[in-house]
Amino acid sequence: MEPTGLAYLAAGIGGGLAIIGGGLGIGKLAASAMEGIARQPNAAGEVRGAMIVAAGLIEGATLFALVIMIILAFK
Amino acid sequence: MMISAYILALALAASQHDAASPTPSATPTATAQETAAPPASPEGGHATPPATADPARPAEEHATTGGAPAHEGGGEGEGHGESPAQVLMHHVMDQPDYRPFGLPIPFPTKHLFFLVAVMLLVIVVARIAIASYKNGAPKGIGSAIETLVVYVRDEIAEKNIGHGDGAKYTPLLLSFFFFILFAALVGLLPFSGTSTGNLSVTFALAFISFLAQQYAGMSKYGVAGHFKNLVPHGLPAPLLIVMIPIEVLGMFTKPFALMVRLFANMLAGHMIITALLLLVPLSAKMSGAFGVAMIPVSLGMALFIMCLELLVAFIQAYVFTLFSAIFIGMYAHPSH
Repeated sequence: MEPTGLAYLAAGIGGGLAIIGGGLGIGKLAASAMEGIARQPNAAGEVRGAMIVAAGLIEGATLFALVIMIILAFK
Repeated sequence: MMISAYILALALAASQHDAASPTPSATPTATAQETAAPPASPEGGHATPPATADPARPAEEHATTGGAPAHEGGGEGEGHGESPAQVLMHHVMDQPDYRPFGLPIPFPTKHLFFLVAVMLLVIVVARIAIASYKNGAPKGIGSAIETLVVYVRDEIAEKNIGHGDGAKYTPLLLSFFFFILFAALVGLLPFSGTSTGNLSVTFALAFISFLAQQYAGMSKYGVAGHFKNLVPHGLPAPLLIVMIPIEVLGMFTKPFALMVRLFANMLAGHMIITALLLLVPLSAKMSGAFGVAMIPVSLGMALFIMCLELLVAFIQAYVFTLFSAIFIGMYAHPSH
């Protein structure tokens, strides 16, 4: 088990784990955004704006993990 | 603001250019001034991402003159003896050294060239938009720009900074928004690179945002008052001991998050595009016919991802500007 192989393995597994977290988070976000729009269609614009902001934050966190993965995979 | 961003990015990029070696597998280089990119510095080629181009890559790399449409990398295989991973690294993440594009003057790096190019593009587009005002109503591209400008001013600046300070910071927010947007859009063209896909460039943008936040607080409350505003008044001592480090750290992590978010979004998009298009030569290695059959599949996927990139360009510009506005508002009008 040389370190390089382990690093690649870690990059792969870590990538998968990171996207699980990101996907779940954005999924929940989208679900409640849909619900909010369904309940009050005339608030759709505000809900959409808030959804994009929250999605940006969640994506940011996921991409932090992605950067670590990239470093692992390519160093 | 963009001039200072350019100078900052130039300094950082020059420092990493001197230290960096072109091959991805070189020993880790020590970069002198990259304070905020220690995670990225060990990478041989250096922290920068996507030079797009997938369309550019096969044509550039293989120097084929077959007049092939830029997407067609199929069947060429790796004529250079590089593995797909190295190709990906070299053309997606790293920046090639000089990017003269036919001009006699060499720029130090490709991303720097596009930083300057996008900066000039934003200025030119803004000037055209301003000049197109007739009788108080803009025509042509001016109307599109005006929609975005009004949106940034009303929805982003006024809502988040508000209390009359919105107009003061609107030019800065507009600069952020249009620069990031145009940088991402230009990066989608063939033979070009996304300058915001470089950690130095996003560091420069985030640093300017950081300076704006500090200025917002200090210009209103003075240096001491700005730091006193970090924590709510009238807190019991134990809570203060916890809150102060958190707030001070937060002052730095917020722009850091801005930087990494933008960088990673731009990087990831272009890496995916390149990886999908690299499927063609990869499958061509297995058997030529498979490679040809892969072309429509991977082209389709790459086109889809490019459309997604368009959306991501807008969203990232919006998110960066919005968060900058929120943070500026937090320091200018602390509502604790």
